[in-house]
Amino acid sequence: MKFNSSGYLVKEGLKNIWTNRMMSLASIIVLVSCLIITGAAILVSINVTSLISSIGEDNQVNVFLVYDMSDIDAIKLGTVIKKIDNVEDCVYYPKDEAIKEYKQKLGNLYDSLQGEDNPLGNVYKVQLTDLSNYKETIKQIEAIDGVASVSDRGDIARTLTKLNYFVSIVGFWIVLILGIVTLFIISNTIKMTMYSRRFEISIMKSVGATNTFVRIPFIIEAMTIGLISGLVASFTLIAIYNPMRETAGRMITLIGTSTIPLSDIWLNILLGFCGAGILIGALGGFISITKYLRKEGGEILGW
Amino acid sequence: MIHLKNVSKVYSNGTEALKNVSLDIEQGEFVFIVGSSGAGKSTFLKLLIREEKATFGKISVNGYDLMKIRPGKIPYLRRTMGIVFQDFRLIEKMNVYDNVAFAMRAIGTPEKFIRKRVKQVLAVVGLEDKEKRRPSELSGGEQQRVSLARALVNKPGMIIADEPTGNIDPKMSYEIMKRLVDINKKGTTVIIVTHEHDLVRTFGGRVIIIDGGEVREDRMISAQGSEESGSVLFAEKADNADNVENVISPSGNEPESRNNEEADNS
Repeated sequence: MKFNSSGYLVKEGLKNIWTNRMMSLASIIVLVSCLIITGAAILVSINVTSLISSIGEDNQVNVFLVYDMSDIDAIKLGTVIKKIDNVEDCVYYPKDEAIKEYKQKLGNLYDSLQGEDNPLGNVYKVQLTDLSNYKETIKQIEAIDGVASVSDRGDIARTLTKLNYFVSIVGFWIVLILGIVTLFIISNTIKMTMYSRRFEISIMKSVGATNTFVRIPFIIEAMTIGLISGLVASFTLIAIYNPMRETAGRMITLIGTSTIPLSDIWLNILLGFCGAGILIGALGGFISITKYLRKEGGEILGW
Repeated sequence: MIHLKNVSKVYSNGTEALKNVSLDIEQGEFVFIVGSSGAGKSTFLKLLIREEKATFGKISVNGYDLMKIRPGKIPYLRRTMGIVFQDFRLIEKMNVYDNVAFAMRAIGTPEKFIRKRVKQVLAVVGLEDKEKRRPSELSGGEQQRVSLARALVNKPGMIIADEPTGNIDPKMSYEIMKRLVDINKKGTTVIIVTHEHDLVRTFGGRVIIIDGGEVREDRMISAQGSEESGSVLFAEKADNADNVENVISPSGNEPESRNNEEADNS
């Protein structure tokens, strides 16, 4: 193939998309759906990973005091906690502060929950020096009289690790299955185009067009379908990422600060999706046209 | 140019389409390949363009050894020849210009050369004023001239015309044949596969009769029709399509009926 025919080949490839617009549209819809599902699985996975690492780095535990403990008793209890070896710092967080914070986050829903109606308990936020002694320190704190419970973030980390593993496994299969489905859809679209243009292919072969020359417009068509799908899928995901992240953050306070902001990943989403779309398109188109040319496409029709 | 030595072709279903065929066609010849349906004409053409490979023998076309040619080289072999089909094979969504230019684009010719060459070749076939027309807006004869222009546009050394007059009326057939003769006079080898014995009688040339996969006859026939009488002959054919006359085999071969020819064509 000569370089000077590249303009013609690209034009032919783009024309194919319009000629088979219904099939192209169907491919784009399927491909976009597949890319969004795959992308969502990947985004959940990387956010959970980020959450786990932030929990791992966070050596702070919440010590909940018994509900009816007075402030004076609570302060006394604080001095006991501070004396434990592995405790670096210990900050009192009265229940009135906690309910104010909730109200700020969740609006006037909690207006009535004040004073005696406040369901939250007083809390000490305890900073640990060494996380390797985490379990022993927690046991020591739990043993202090007046301590109702200690938030065990180790459990959360373990649960999230399990969740991440699950998301990774499911994500892998989703990527694999949807990858095959999209490959199939794209190669079918190209097959349709080839069928509608078999007459032209036959004439091209009779005048001495090489297989590469015949192949290129179809591969360009498939790559363009992949690129369009990648763009639509990435813009959709970018558009819904922040609202989804905020909703998840509101539902689970833990998530709020530890997820990855959109500004850090939008370019990766865009490039990743477009790249994946183009790659799947190129592969699907290549497989399809090569198979066709090896069989019936190598013949001159009607002779 | 074309050399076949003891060439046989046996298809996978056991059909022996060509049997021990040997012949040579040199540059500048005007050759008719004549035979009934199933005689082996199509197989002969398929071997020439290397759509099929001979089972036995030696075959070379335009310097390419077709028994040894690599698949990647086949397009380059085909660029040395132009093919005219009985059913024209024009692309309806393209106008005349693009149908002809298509053959140049398919081999990667730059657009600036295409423009110049297509105009030249459309002038050769007398369609320079119809380049914007779609095939459906043209008569059968004009469509075949577009097909001829497409075959000529890459300047091949050889034109293979498969029943070039099979789908057009006799007057137009004469026009097409005249153009093929003119092309041949400029040095291009012309190979015409046909059922139409009148064509052979009118224009003359080398006649190779294939029957049952074998070459039965290979000889020169002189043209019997002047330009005027040729036109008249073809006009008469239009008036009486059933008029049957075998002019190729004065040695006593049974004439083929026109009905049979039409049935063969279908």
